[in-house]
Amino acid sequence: MNLQHIAEQALAALKSEGADASQATVSTSALTELNITHSEPSLLRSTQSHKLSLVGIWDGRKASTELSDLSPESLAAAARALRGDAAAAPLDRAHAVSSGQHTAITRGPMEADLTALADAAHDLLDFRAKTTPTMNIEEGAVSHIRADTQMLTSGGSHLQSTLGWYGISIFGTARGPGPDGTVRTSSFNYAGGETEDLRGAPAHSRFGMDQTMRELTRSVVTQGVADCFGGKFVGDVVLTPMAVSTLLGWLQGQVSDMALISGSSMYKDKVGEAIASPLLNLASRFDAPGIAALSGDGFVAPPLQLLQAGRLQALTPSLYGSRKTGLTHVPTASGGWELAAGTTPLADMLRGVPRGAVVGRLSMGNPAANGDFSGIIKNSFAIDGGAVGTALSETMINGNVAQMLRDVVSVSTERIDTGGWCMPWVRVSGLHFS
Amino acid sequence: MPQTVTTASATTDYLETRRHELRKMRMLMVDGNLTTNLRSTEAGVSARAHHGGYWGFSAVPGAGGPDQVAKVVQQARSNAQAMGRFGTRSTLALPGESYVGQHRFNGKAELTPAECNERLQALHSFCKQRYPDVRSTRFLLADEHHSKWLTTSRGGDSLSSIQRAMCYVTLMSNNADDGSPIELNHNISWKGSAADGDLSPEHLAPHIDQLYQHLQAKRNAVPARGGMQTVVLAPALAGMLAHEAMGHPCEGDIVLGGAVTAGLVGQRVASDLVSMVDIAHTWQGQEALMPVYVDDEGTPARDAVLIDKGILSGFMHSRETAERLGMAPTGSARAYAPGDEPLVRMRNTVILPGTSKLQDMIAGVEDGYLLAKTGNGQADSTTEFMFSVTLAYEIKNGKLGSAIRDTTVSGSAIKVLQSVDAVSDDMHWEGGGYCGKKQVMVVAMGGPALRARAHMGGQ
Repeated sequence: MNLQHIAEQALAALKSEGADASQATVSTSALTELNITHSEPSLLRSTQSHKLSLVGIWDGRKASTELSDLSPESLAAAARALRGDAAAAPLDRAHAVSSGQHTAITRGPMEADLTALADAAHDLLDFRAKTTPTMNIEEGAVSHIRADTQMLTSGGSHLQSTLGWYGISIFGTARGPGPDGTVRTSSFNYAGGETEDLRGAPAHSRFGMDQTMRELTRSVVTQGVADCFGGKFVGDVVLTPMAVSTLLGWLQGQVSDMALISGSSMYKDKVGEAIASPLLNLASRFDAPGIAALSGDGFVAPPLQLLQAGRLQALTPSLYGSRKTGLTHVPTASGGWELAAGTTPLADMLRGVPRGAVVGRLSMGNPAANGDFSGIIKNSFAIDGGAVGTALSETMINGNVAQMLRDVVSVSTERIDTGGWCMPWVRVSGLHFS
Repeated sequence: MPQTVTTASATTDYLETRRHELRKMRMLMVDGNLTTNLRSTEAGVSARAHHGGYWGFSAVPGAGGPDQVAKVVQQARSNAQAMGRFGTRSTLALPGESYVGQHRFNGKAELTPAECNERLQALHSFCKQRYPDVRSTRFLLADEHHSKWLTTSRGGDSLSSIQRAMCYVTLMSNNADDGSPIELNHNISWKGSAADGDLSPEHLAPHIDQLYQHLQAKRNAVPARGGMQTVVLAPALAGMLAHEAMGHPCEGDIVLGGAVTAGLVGQRVASDLVSMVDIAHTWQGQEALMPVYVDDEGTPARDAVLIDKGILSGFMHSRETAERLGMAPTGSARAYAPGDEPLVRMRNTVILPGTSKLQDMIAGVEDGYLLAKTGNGQADSTTEFMFSVTLAYEIKNGKLGSAIRDTTVSGSAIKVLQSVDAVSDDMHWEGGGYCGKKQVMVVAMGGPALRARAHMGGQ
């Protein structure tokens, strides 16, 4: 399948329908995945998919469509339909497509190594059986993905990427006897990530998976905040890298289109200002496994420093968001971020907490538009006098996400690198536990 | 679509092929700007084979001609055999009957993009004129259509379809104290396409007026008091409780994964006022929002009674989980996209209505909260759950007081359901959301109002 040829045909079809501006993105992917179910190998999957995404703009009116039938007849029909769709859309001069962007990215293993996949699955299962036998891998996967993309625009942009990468993930619980002898179940947890080299380190040692599996086995017996601390209190949390990624995901949403266009962003006029602890330095890594440094609207995404010593360096509106708001356009890729390591060893960070918890995961709804949130802390352990103790259950924290970013008091030297993100542990003060 | 015969062979104990078409429409209007105007079509054919205790799966895009079917069948068989490198396993019998039949939803002709846009523009204009102090409006209109042609080596031969549509109305204002943004939304969902719902401002005005009034109350919201509280969960939250808190731990694969429910069948897990069912397709003579007559393994779908008057009664099953747990399949194995294999998924999960009146339930609370709207929810294998609460009011001496700020309600579903002392006689259905579990899935949920004790987030 010649993807570039299909994209060219699609642009030609849109041009013949009179489109003022257009974008065609053709992508194919092939997935080979070995699944683990209930700690046993269960299924081998081979799937292929392809998709054509079209954007057309006629006199300031835009429409888009996606289709899996890539025949010339289908392209022509889609272009005709898109013209009709756009005619129904309101006039909006902010719509545009990229111009003059060129790059070709090729990276990673292009063919699945089935033996390597099977070896990785064996390694996970062996580690579980020998080291964490009370933990059950409810779902696990070791996969290879090959993704090819060609994007053309009527403005002359031509962006292409050919990526191959491996993924590993586990999801599960642990079971065991409680103090009363009855069988108890831990909360579930998961870990995983992407890599271009499956043959390097053992599978279980990647992405914090071994740590997650061990912690699950320590989470069967839990206590509530009343039993651990005698009731509500204000204390500190040490957020694990996964929880840190959730916190920073909120910030990234605040500096993106939806919040900027609707005016709900708390940071619309804060570029250059200190919005977070000076310990926080957040930067892109758009060359992470499975990530191409390309934005969805057809731009090369150069490296980006979002937070520098806690100061906001940029907002990240798309081309449309930029034209809509007057803000500078800053293209970003679909993922790939890292928070710089700090100077505090994790053990010292934990020892410094008089009262609080190590928080593995935050189970919560979207924070309110002003950042207020409350959520259950999952896969979490009490810290009392600097010592990590019992796993917590039914424990809530509440606060304000924006304030949490400001209240970071230390950042660990250690980080977990999952490919898509690389994050340290961070300690945040002043959270309300109940 | 042409039918094909799917047969097992010497190298396959079980085989299914599925041709699956998925069409979606999504239009998002933010302050009168159509920021999303997307239509998509995805078609593909898949095969899943079981051999020697292992599964093989394969899928390719396309309409599913004979060559494509042959290709995915061969690959699925090959994949199942390749799993033999992990050693020998017992072959599964995969119990259950096989369904033959066709089910389509016969709704109105779909709306054109122009008609969709007209409706969204009309709603935007209505809100702009009627609520001039509202800072921002968002309207999301979406629908999706699934058609699945399935054949199995057990004689299953079926066509099933799911069509659902939704409209989300969001109004945004400012907090009266500090001017920070606040928002509130109202979700409507129905069976069929966008054309099958009434989106006229006249029809929706009472709902949007009410949403606006709630938004005004929320501008002066007070913080919730954290800790254990008496709460009246409005019907919209009871459906979420049914789905998230007890539904997931009653899915056969989650039970096998070690969910706390595994050892509780026959035991009391809720007040005797509480009964909970995952409805297959019909409730009280009416077709449910997400009707499943046959699942994606060709099993005839039947209701799964999960809790009967407070007693845990059963689980939802695929053929495999039913066999492993020694129960009967319920027709709950569903695949979301053409390239997905079937997993145990909920269909229409409800807590059944009781006999109390909502107003009486509120009047009976001396100090507590009415939880009226939720944004999302998450559950755990332990039945510990969390819902975001986007609209709630204080209850003082049986009367509603101030609105409270966005918060969270949580608890162990078993403890919360055991504390239920009143169940209302009304029923709220919701079918617009997605359930996430490896794949997303279209599901419906419903319930009456419940009065219980639960943990509120707050200081």
